[in-house]
Amino acid sequence: MAKWGMVIDLDKCTGCQACTTACAMENNTLPGESWQDVLYYHEGSYPSAQMKWLPRPCMQCENPSCVHVCPTRATYKDMDAGGIVFVDWNKCIGCKYCMIACPYGVRFYADEKPLLEPDLRDIFPGQKGQLWSPPYQNPEEDWTRGIGVQPKGVVSKCTFCHHKVSKAPPGTPDLDEDNPALKEYVPACVRTCAPKARYFGDLDNPDSNVNRLIGDKHGVRLKDSSGNKPQVYYLGAGAGVPAFQPKPRS
Amino acid sequence: MKLLETLMNRRRFLKSTAATGAAGAAVGGFAGLSGLAPAKQAQAQAPRGQTTVTKNICAQCPARCGIDVYTTNGRVHGIYGDTGNPIANGKLCPKGHLGSYFLYDPDRFKGPMKRTNPRKGRDEDPGFVPISWDEALDTVAARMQNLRDKGESHRFAHFYGRGWGASDAGLYGDFGKLYGTPNSAIGHASMCAEGSKRAKQATDGNNSYNSYDYKNTNYILNFGASFLEAFRPYNYLMQVWGHMRSKSPMTRITTIDVRMNPTMAASDRAVYIKPGTDGAMALAIAHVMLTEGLWDKEFVGDFNDGQNRFRTGRRIPRGSFNAKWTYGLEEWWNEELKDRTPEWAESITSVPARTIIAVAREFGTTRPAMAIMERGPTAHTNGTYNGMAIHALNALSGCMFAEGGMYYQMGPSYGGLPVNADDFMDDYAKSVQGKYPRIDKARTPEWPMTAHMMQEAGPNHLKGDPYKMDTAMFFYTNPIWSAPDPKVWEEALKDVFIIDTSHFPGETAMYADIVMPDHTYLERLQDSPTYPFEGWPMAALRVPAVDPIYDTKHFGDTLIELGKRIKGPMGEFYKALNNTENVLRHRAKGFERDPGDNGVNSFESWKEKGVWYKKPYHWRQFRGEFYEWDGQGYNHLMSEEEVKAKLIKTPTGKFEFKSGFLENHADYIHREMGVPTHRVGLVQWVEPKHSGEGDLYLVSPKTPLHAEGRSGNIPHAIANHQPIVGGKTTVYLEIHPDTARARNIRNGDKVRIKSNLGSIEAYCRYMPAHRPDTLVLPMEHGHWAQGRWAKGRLPGHSGDITENVSDPISGLAAYYTGKVTVERA
Repeated sequence: MAKWGMVIDLDKCTGCQACTTACAMENNTLPGESWQDVLYYHEGSYPSAQMKWLPRPCMQCENPSCVHVCPTRATYKDMDAGGIVFVDWNKCIGCKYCMIACPYGVRFYADEKPLLEPDLRDIFPGQKGQLWSPPYQNPEEDWTRGIGVQPKGVVSKCTFCHHKVSKAPPGTPDLDEDNPALKEYVPACVRTCAPKARYFGDLDNPDSNVNRLIGDKHGVRLKDSSGNKPQVYYLGAGAGVPAFQPKPRS
Repeated sequence: MKLLETLMNRRRFLKSTAATGAAGAAVGGFAGLSGLAPAKQAQAQAPRGQTTVTKNICAQCPARCGIDVYTTNGRVHGIYGDTGNPIANGKLCPKGHLGSYFLYDPDRFKGPMKRTNPRKGRDEDPGFVPISWDEALDTVAARMQNLRDKGESHRFAHFYGRGWGASDAGLYGDFGKLYGTPNSAIGHASMCAEGSKRAKQATDGNNSYNSYDYKNTNYILNFGASFLEAFRPYNYLMQVWGHMRSKSPMTRITTIDVRMNPTMAASDRAVYIKPGTDGAMALAIAHVMLTEGLWDKEFVGDFNDGQNRFRTGRRIPRGSFNAKWTYGLEEWWNEELKDRTPEWAESITSVPARTIIAVAREFGTTRPAMAIMERGPTAHTNGTYNGMAIHALNALSGCMFAEGGMYYQMGPSYGGLPVNADDFMDDYAKSVQGKYPRIDKARTPEWPMTAHMMQEAGPNHLKGDPYKMDTAMFFYTNPIWSAPDPKVWEEALKDVFIIDTSHFPGETAMYADIVMPDHTYLERLQDSPTYPFEGWPMAALRVPAVDPIYDTKHFGDTLIELGKRIKGPMGEFYKALNNTENVLRHRAKGFERDPGDNGVNSFESWKEKGVWYKKPYHWRQFRGEFYEWDGQGYNHLMSEEEVKAKLIKTPTGKFEFKSGFLENHADYIHREMGVPTHRVGLVQWVEPKHSGEGDLYLVSPKTPLHAEGRSGNIPHAIANHQPIVGGKTTVYLEIHPDTARARNIRNGDKVRIKSNLGSIEAYCRYMPAHRPDTLVLPMEHGHWAQGRWAKGRLPGHSGDITENVSDPISGLAAYYTGKVTVERA
């Protein structure tokens, strides 16, 4: 089995958030439930200020803190699925321990006050146990892996689009969206990335393009000191999260 | 306690759904509800219907990206870029994916309606009641017939914003001719980006946006084109950005803008400039390029003796410069450029002279190098002159029609219509041709160099000058909200019979007497020749992903159906035209003679592939000579006459630093702008005239999620609209902290932004990366209609405090030229 990994080149990323909306529509997440968010930072002042951004999917850690703390073993790392970390919505009790444990802030609990009013959940009310049922929802659904629209009261997260990548021919070193034969197997965020800042492939295959990029461009993993060992690597300048700075009130 | 409640709810939920799980899976296609069953069983994939993929074109901006629309069991559930479409290449911008939302928009108009409340205004409920299409069409046609019978057909006007092609906006010309109105149609160009087109018309003779060969360029000097936010085609620009930033040598990019933004941040050099002064910086760059001998001598020409005589402040002798493909360089230098030093420009632009010199040397020593622009520099009263100064750099760098440079767009090989409108003009139609000016007075002595002046139509109607409109029909435009000073429109349109064709409840629709809703783009069969892209011709096609889910009608068919109902030969013409599909089938006949590179040679194959295109671009300037494609290569050396006819369409057939086009309107320019008549043709610095007495500039940019007309009501767009300063439920006024503190404004305060027209309110966020003299408020919210999420969402609309002031030459509304004050609300 492959070990799926993602590489994000920040020198090419334009911060457009197509990854965010592609993910939201592919996985039918609610506004604010951005499994694939882009974080923006700015530092300094006119005329020498800088602005930068960091796209942030689930890191699918080799050593995931969320799995360690889950009291019901609802969240688990599936080595038979490329090492993707899933939430089994049939087991999740929505206790949010995993959200606190995750160093990267990539787990979501949408069954609460909506980010945006009017509430989409009232407009497209949930049917058959779903939290909400948008008419444009993806027919793919697998609650044991947290795929589809979730029920009430569970945590949701990025699945590396398992419902797509799992259908790729076994042994494929890289899921490259530019290859028409492979594009349907590529995670939504990678497939749509216009400047091609994202790559997806097998980290266990030394010949994969993702490994080549990580080698050539000195890929780094965020917060490596946490020991979580993400399967997401960043390339280029600005691959870090600035320290938190409270916003000035006045 | 909360946790226990959740647990309880969860258990109750499992209990109650276990029974329905199996049945649900069987009928609705949902698996995984079997929460109490062993996990292994639940992993089985849900049974699902056949998924079909149809070709379409995104409609959320002008870019026209080809999209693959995924439909299963009659429901659209996915949109991705079309791999076979040369703009999309399988990719999309953040807006594109949200398209399914348009189809299932809960606020959509579901069929034709008429108004029952005769009063019109922001707070008036139109009292719409459903009617049949026949009633709607008959009502409008009777009204039009009556006008025609009275000899007042000019009082009928069409307004449109985003026209797509031959099957909608392409029908207007014939419609106006046959019916007898000069107002078919008033386009929105003057509220869009007309300034750059006019700057190009004045210098190289092409009244058009450029096509660009970004893939092969090594330097981009970007003046206020939001390359990574809103410049078109945004999706492709990001693709090519990825290419430019990883090719060898890497394309170097300098961005000049009035505010920090993603393009500035991602460029090699970010240059902040004072609003409306880009032309001064461009002139100083030209000055340095000339004094340091960095101009492209093979395109521009050189001194007779090869010695560079350009010295700051000193004239060059007449006849000393031997121009090649340019005209007027001597006069330009002597009368304008010799004094436009970097130090002078610093005093105008606030850009340090050393930065201007560094940029000029980079631009002048890198080939190919292009200077691009859009609304930033041109949405000012001096916009055309700003644009001309920027475009002049493309002559100096020699990138016009060169590899890695800029071109103009070729049109598709469309077939003709089955009938010719000229054969169907009755005596009345002939008698009123040219009799009345347009309601917006475009192309009249008031606006002689403009193509459209939509922003003037409302005010003109109010004044009754040149006349009062009787009936107005709107397609893809909402000037009652988007025009500068829209309150004038709110007043003006009260006594006009309004027909809106939008499928969502915009502000103009709230004034409608009849609503004739169009399909959403995912339900339409509609063609779309490309906007200027890479030069070679292309025409994409929208193919309906699903049958219309409500009682809506293709706008093109609405037009044709109206035409059929007019008595006389006009009705016969539209009966012969029949419907939009017939129009498209005839257009596609052209592909039979000229098959596309992807094999498209018929209407059917066009539908299957979604796009016809044919490479390469036919012309290439190489080292000062022009060559034409002969089918094998760029082998035909073009004569000066051929270049003038096909490429550089100025009076001299050369790139004009002294514009013949402007000199033809010397008296007008002198009167409106105060430029001495003998100088009007020169590419030159003209001070912008700012409206308002405020002490701060206000700019209202479009962000990457600004979907034309609709993002204000798309929940996922609202939630991601302005991430830079944290906008998750709205957008914020971005203000430099020093500017805020000086006015006792705290971070997050509600503020009031005031101009001569009034004020709007917004919440502010500190943004130290902006100029302290410039406020930034993304143009998005402040709707008083438009749907449940948009209506009433703060901040107010920037248009409400934007005065109706336009560049006299291009007519482009000077959206960014107003000065305002800000205070705590």
